[in-house]
Amino acid sequence: MARKKGVKALILNWRVLLLILFLIGSIASISTRGLTYGIDIGGGVALVAEPEKSVSKDTLNGIITSLQNRLNTFGVKDITIEAQHDPETGRSLIVVKIANVTLDEAKQIKDLIESQGVLYLEFNGVVFATGTDVTVHSSNYGLNLRKCSTCWYVGFDLSGRAKERFKEIAAGKAGWPVDIYLDPPVNSLLVVSPRVYNEMQDFLGEPEPGTGTPKPLVQRISEAFNITVVEYSNQTAEDIVENATALGKDKIILADVPEELYSEVKESVLSRDLELRVSHYTPQQGEDLKDFVKRTLNLYGPYVLSKDTATDLLKGNTETGFQLTGIAPTKEEALQEARKIYSVLRSGSLTVKLHVVNEEYISPTLGASFKKQAAIAGIGALIAVLLIVYFHYRRWKIAIPVASTSLFEVIIILGIAALIRWNLDLPSIAGIIAAIGTGVDQQVVITDELLGGTAGGVTRRMSTLRRMARAFFVIFASATTTIVAMSFLLVYFVGTLKGFAVTTILGVLIGVLITRPAYAEIAKYLLSLE
Amino acid sequence: MGTKKQKTNKKPSGKVLETKRKRLLFLAKMEPRKMILYPLVVFLLAALILAFHPPEKGIDLKGGVVITVYHVSASPSELKNYVKEKTGINVRAEEFKDPVTGLSGIRLYAPAGSDPDKLSDVIKSKYKDADITPRVVDPTFGKIAQRQGIKAILYAFLGMAVVVFLFFRDPVPSGTIIFSAFSDMVIALAMMGVLGIELTTATIAALLMLIGYTVDSNILLTTRLLRRKEDTVEDAYLSAVSTGFTMSTTTLGALIILWLVSTSEVIDNITIVLIFGLLADFMNTWIFNAGVLRWYIASPFKFTIKLRGGK
Repeated sequence: MARKKGVKALILNWRVLLLILFLIGSIASISTRGLTYGIDIGGGVALVAEPEKSVSKDTLNGIITSLQNRLNTFGVKDITIEAQHDPETGRSLIVVKIANVTLDEAKQIKDLIESQGVLYLEFNGVVFATGTDVTVHSSNYGLNLRKCSTCWYVGFDLSGRAKERFKEIAAGKAGWPVDIYLDPPVNSLLVVSPRVYNEMQDFLGEPEPGTGTPKPLVQRISEAFNITVVEYSNQTAEDIVENATALGKDKIILADVPEELYSEVKESVLSRDLELRVSHYTPQQGEDLKDFVKRTLNLYGPYVLSKDTATDLLKGNTETGFQLTGIAPTKEEALQEARKIYSVLRSGSLTVKLHVVNEEYISPTLGASFKKQAAIAGIGALIAVLLIVYFHYRRWKIAIPVASTSLFEVIIILGIAALIRWNLDLPSIAGIIAAIGTGVDQQVVITDELLGGTAGGVTRRMSTLRRMARAFFVIFASATTTIVAMSFLLVYFVGTLKGFAVTTILGVLIGVLITRPAYAEIAKYLLSLE
Repeated sequence: MGTKKQKTNKKPSGKVLETKRKRLLFLAKMEPRKMILYPLVVFLLAALILAFHPPEKGIDLKGGVVITVYHVSASPSELKNYVKEKTGINVRAEEFKDPVTGLSGIRLYAPAGSDPDKLSDVIKSKYKDADITPRVVDPTFGKIAQRQGIKAILYAFLGMAVVVFLFFRDPVPSGTIIFSAFSDMVIALAMMGVLGIELTTATIAALLMLIGYTVDSNILLTTRLLRRKEDTVEDAYLSAVSTGFTMSTTTLGALIILWLVSTSEVIDNITIVLIFGLLADFMNTWIFNAGVLRWYIASPFKFTIKLRGGK
């Protein structure tokens, strides 16, 4: 009977009660809200981008809003964008994390982030609007089923000035191509293979009869962006570089030409110490030549001026806005195309170009195997603790409480992580391991103080209370040290190690405030039974 | 539930503790001078190793391209040659296998500036089922990460030092704790260099974890010796070192299991660094720091020790 009362008193002890409450709360929190994982565990892509030149905090925030817009309209979920501004160096970093995407989507996202240059709308060799002139209303895109089942459209509006210019050049020219460029290679020499050159003569849209003939793409980009296209007919690298310098270009682009030419041109530029950038594009397997040209030029489209818009322009009736239209092979592709162009138009252009400096992709299936592994490793470590503690004390009465307290600690840390929607990544898990490790250490300290005077022939000179006080002095001292050390990380360092600091601090706090006092009570009770 | 069954084992448990203390008695018998000297020699050796053979920087600090390919039916050298032939990029190929999930794959290390898309496209075109995981770090980002890592360790260390000093308010014991933590890190770093473990953000996290563990054991020792309630310093030391021994072996055991079970390179590297760090910590706390404290307690230069907290 006395023993039963003891159990009751133990459970009603506020320290134990607190542990039980937290435990129940954590289990509830995990089961209702679920755990969220970082990219390195859950799968997804993590990209770190750096602006090409240093920017102010305001500009950075502007970039982030635009990026957010662009990625949202691209149609991916679970995006986090975080900015890091280092006041010391004036450098800024933008961290973009997107969960659950395929490798192809990850590549597209990277392109989307990097092609944040300037948006140009060009018609027949004239740039009539740039990013700031374009407004796209929310969800103004989709399939145009009246026209055909795989026809898509994107509606947009232009600023007054751009509207005037557009009216001047495009009125009545239904079916003519409207080109949209994001960061085209302005002022460059483009050397292409004959087949690409031929392809570039096309890109004419579907002009309505009687409206005349639009200029070919080669001429359009030459007039609009000063891009000179040259057909490759075995010119030497020297010739090409000579040509580019004579024309005052800042960039040479080699497309679909032999790889050796690329290295030769690069060498030539290097040996002459010229301020010329050289880049090389080759068609990917199965890539359509048209798509290849578009990729080289960062061209979206060409999209065709719809008949309605053309007549509206003619009549000066531009209140209803404009539409870009196109046809894709399938309904899905049509929607995808519409969504892509919609997001590009909508977010406008950014003041600074971004460059992706760190890229990590984890496929969701691999993420699942990481999770399984982490769980097995955790359980294995817990069993190891149980057995080793048993080996040291030869009492399950100590081993089981020590191991289960550690388990409770993990559950509570995870519960709080679920509550605050902390994304568990590998550093966070390392932090949990650290917290549990020090937790076990401190439980050993408590146990040894409790067992104190009984072994080794040392006289029992201190009361249990005083021994506990000493144990808790050690625990508080080390907890304070760890928390202070880790807080520095949190405040001064907003990097990948943030998760580590958060879970360590969380674990240590939970340990000091909840699990350690409860363990002391439980151990005291169990040992007093002897 | 096991409480009833173990009732008969009550006496053996006392014996276990006693034999443990007996086994550790040799430490208590050691001369303080030697206790200080040996760990210092180890520290200097580690510092020398570190100076001549520092750990390599991993790609997240140095920059570069790593492509991990799962579900691929080629051998590493096959894949390497294929990639070289198709792209002209000279890669280093390494195979790995996960004993738990049975997952195996090949890691390709390419120099910074290589085009990861090209590499994955080339691999994908021949091995259709391959699951490709690229990781690309620009050297400039590597430099930023490096600086942040150094800053992190520095600040964490300084924070630790300040708090330890405030707790003990005595330059000798606090200084020794701080030095122990430093020596742990140096030894762990030297071991990383010797074992070829790269310095990455993850291993930096491990070094930070070491600070936490070091402080734990050192504060325990210092408190037990300076707020001694046992009859002699030897008794106090013996009881503290037996606790410390239990602590370290438990943590080490858990870490070794973690290392055996996990195949994630990150967790493996963290645990290895911690295992060596903890071994170093055992020496630095229970031999070096104990030696200093024993000498200090017996020496005439001792400060009047006023400890705060506790009653």
